[in-house]
Amino acid sequence: MAPKIEYYCPCLSESPHPPPPNLPSSSYSFHPLHNLFFCEECDAVRCNRCVLVEVSGYYCPNCLFEVPSASVRAEKNRCARNCFLCPNCRNTLTVVPSDPPENVDSRTSPIVSTTLGEPPFFLYCNHCRWDSAEVGITFEKPTGLAAQLQKFEDSAPESLEFERLKEHFEPFLRASSSSSTLPSASSHHVHTNPITAAASSALARDIPGVGKYNPLSRSRVGRDKAAHRQEYPDYKSRVEIGSAAALSGEADVEFLRHLETVSEVAALEQRWTNSWVSPLPASDLKPLRIPLQSKKSKRCPSCRHILIKPEQKAQSVRFKIKLVAANYLPAIAVTLPHAQAAIEMLKRTSKSASAAAQAEEQQAAGALIAGHSYSFHLAFTNPLYDPIQIRLAKALAPVQTAEGDAAAEAAERARRSTFQIQLPSAAFPVGAFAEAWEYDDEDEDMFLDDDGMEIVEARGKKGKDGRGKTRSVGIVEKRANVTIVSGEVLIPKEARGDVRFNMLVSYTYRSDDPEPSEEAGVGTPSRSHGTNKAPEMKNFSFYTVVDLGPIMYREEPKLTADL
Amino acid sequence: MDLPIYYTRAEYIETDTGNKVSRRATISGPQNIILGGKTIIASGAIIRGDLRRTGPGHAVVISLGRYCLIGEGCVMRPPYKTYRGNFNYYPMKIGDHVHIGANSIVEAATIGNHVEIGKNCIIGKFTIIKDCAKIADNTVIPPNTVVPALALFAGSPGRFIEDLPESTPEMVEAQTKQYYTRFQPLPAER
Repeated sequence: MAPKIEYYCPCLSESPHPPPPNLPSSSYSFHPLHNLFFCEECDAVRCNRCVLVEVSGYYCPNCLFEVPSASVRAEKNRCARNCFLCPNCRNTLTVVPSDPPENVDSRTSPIVSTTLGEPPFFLYCNHCRWDSAEVGITFEKPTGLAAQLQKFEDSAPESLEFERLKEHFEPFLRASSSSSTLPSASSHHVHTNPITAAASSALARDIPGVGKYNPLSRSRVGRDKAAHRQEYPDYKSRVEIGSAAALSGEADVEFLRHLETVSEVAALEQRWTNSWVSPLPASDLKPLRIPLQSKKSKRCPSCRHILIKPEQKAQSVRFKIKLVAANYLPAIAVTLPHAQAAIEMLKRTSKSASAAAQAEEQQAAGALIAGHSYSFHLAFTNPLYDPIQIRLAKALAPVQTAEGDAAAEAAERARRSTFQIQLPSAAFPVGAFAEAWEYDDEDEDMFLDDDGMEIVEARGKKGKDGRGKTRSVGIVEKRANVTIVSGEVLIPKEARGDVRFNMLVSYTYRSDDPEPSEEAGVGTPSRSHGTNKAPEMKNFSFYTVVDLGPIMYREEPKLTADL
Repeated sequence: MDLPIYYTRAEYIETDTGNKVSRRATISGPQNIILGGKTIIASGAIIRGDLRRTGPGHAVVISLGRYCLIGEGCVMRPPYKTYRGNFNYYPMKIGDHVHIGANSIVEAATIGNHVEIGKNCIIGKFTIIKDCAKIADNTVIPPNTVVPALALFAGSPGRFIEDLPESTPEMVEAQTKQYYTRFQPLPAER
C-alpha cells in the first residue's frame, strides 16, 4: 500500500487536536485534501460531514432533464418522462417497439416501417432482458409513458389511502400551523412543528397512555387535547385493515407453498425502494420511474457562508462558488524513497513476471521492516500566489487536556514506543504558485524534463547513502511551487502495526486583507489577493495524519506473539 | 514525487502534437481517427477507425481529446445500430483528460472531459458519459446508459454509487498531465 496523507477536520470533536491516529474511529476525522472545503470567513477547514447541504436543483440522472422544484412534488420525486429502472437489475430500460408482424418479411421494401415501429411498445432491459410485457405493461404510444405508469402508481390502494390521510389532516395542519403562532407559541414549541404536533396529539387521543411520553408537560397536553378534541372527526380508512391483510396474506402463503426456486420471490433489494408495498413474486414487479437526483450547494456550518454553489445547468461541472481546501492549503504527497528505488529495480530486472507477482514483489520491496530506519519524503505544493513558510511538528495527542481517557493514553504510549519520527524542525519556504507553470507549451516539457533528471539524481544520492547510515532530515529539493523535505522514521525491533502519526503543519502566508469579513466577494479565493496593500503575515495551522504503511517482519516472527 | 513511467523509445511513435502511439497497438482506419495531442495509446490497444458510417466523403469515427490514455489491451469500437432498416456505425467522441484503464472495451457514443474509466470495464453501445464521471474497475455499463456528471458508477450493471468531490476536474487534470510527463522514453541504457 502506498503511503498516504489525510487532513484533519475538527468537526467531530470539541478539541482542536486530532484524535490518536491508530484508533479505528479516528479515520472519520481525516479526509483527503480534495474532499475538504475552506471557509474564508471562519478561516477554517470544513468537510462533507459538517457542511450544511441544500438542494439547489433536481435532475433526472438518465434523461438529464432539470425538473423544476414545483413539479418534483407532483411527480413524487421521480422522473416523469420516459426513464425507468428495471425492477430486476436497476438498469435503465429502453422503449422498444414490438417485432413487426411476420408478413413484413414478404414486403418489398423494409424501409416502409416508420421511425416509431409497431404499436404495442414495451420497456426492455438491455442487461437482464426483462421486459414489461412480462408483467402486462404495454403502451400504444412510445411517449409519455411515465404519466401512464404514474396512473398505476396513484391507483395503488396504499397511495389512495395516503392521499386520503393527507386530505383528512389538511384542515388540521392548516389550523395548527396558524394556532401555533398564536399565544401557545411559547418556549415549548421550539421542537414541535405542526406536523409532529398533529401526529402526537392524534396518537395521544387514540391510544390511551401515550400522552405521558409527550415532551410537553402532561397538563398542557391535556388542555390541548380538550381544546382540539372536537375539531378532528374520526378518520375512516378506505380499506378495513383486517380484511386487507387477510386477503394478501393468504395469497402470499399460497404462493410461497408452491415456490420452486428462490428467485421467484422478489429480493429485498428489488422491493425496498418502492414507495408502496410491492408484490412478493418477482414476476409481478413493475418498472420503476427513476428517482431524481439533486445538485447541492454547501454552506459553512458556523457562519453560513456558501462554500459550494453549483451552476444552474444540471450537467455543468463548473461552480459559481467553490471554496475548496486544495486552493488554500498546501498539498502534501508522501513517498518512501527506498520503496520507489526498489520498485525501479524490480521493473528493470523482472520484466516478464506476471502483473500480480510484480505487484506483490513491489509491496514486499516497499515494506517497512522492524529494526530499521527509513527516510520518507514529503512534497509540499503551494497553491497560493505568494510564497509560504512551512513549519512541521509532530502532533502530540491531547492526553492531558479535557478527557484524556485511559484508552487514548495507552494508545498514545504504545504509539510512542513503537516508532520514532524525525521531522525537519526549521521552517522551510515553498515558492509561489504561478499560472505560467500550468501552460502546456514546449517550454514546460523542457522544464519538466529537467525535473525528472533532478529527481533521479536526488534518489541516486539517497541510494548511495546506503542503509543504516545517517540520513539528512531537511530540504531535499526545491523547485517552482514544490518543496520536498525528508523526515526519518526509526522502527524498533518490537514495533508492530502501522506507521501512522499525526503531523501539525503550520504555514505563514502574506495576507493582504486584514479584515476578511469586510471583503465583498465571498467567492474570491485568496489566490486572487491584490498586492497593493502592505503585506501582513498570517499563520494557519492544520493537522494531518501520515500513514507510511504497515511494519513488516523479516526476522524473529515470534516477537509478534507478545504484546 | 511520482516516478517516471519508462517505455522503450523504439516502441512508441511520437507525433508532432505529442501523441504517443505504441507500435504494438492496432490502429485500423487511422485516417478516421483524431487524436487531440499528448494522448497516449498503449500497446495492445485496438482502435477501430475503419468501422465508419456508410456513405460518401470523409467521416471521423473516433475522436480523442488532449491528455487521454488508452490503456493496454483496450478495445475502442464505435457503436452501431440498425435504424430504419439500415445498419450503421455512429461516431465516438471522447473529450480531454480521459483515462481508460487496461483491458476495457468501450463502445460509448460520447465521453466528456475529465472522465476516468477503470480496468476491465465494458462500456456498452451508445453510452453517454458526462464530464468528470468515474467508472470503477470491472464495471459493466449496459448499452444506452447515461452516466451523469460527477458520478461514480460501479458494479454489473453499473449503478450510481456516490457523488464525486467538487474538485474532481482539477484533480483529474493534474493527474492526466502528470501521467503524460511521467510517461517518457527510457534513457540510454546504463
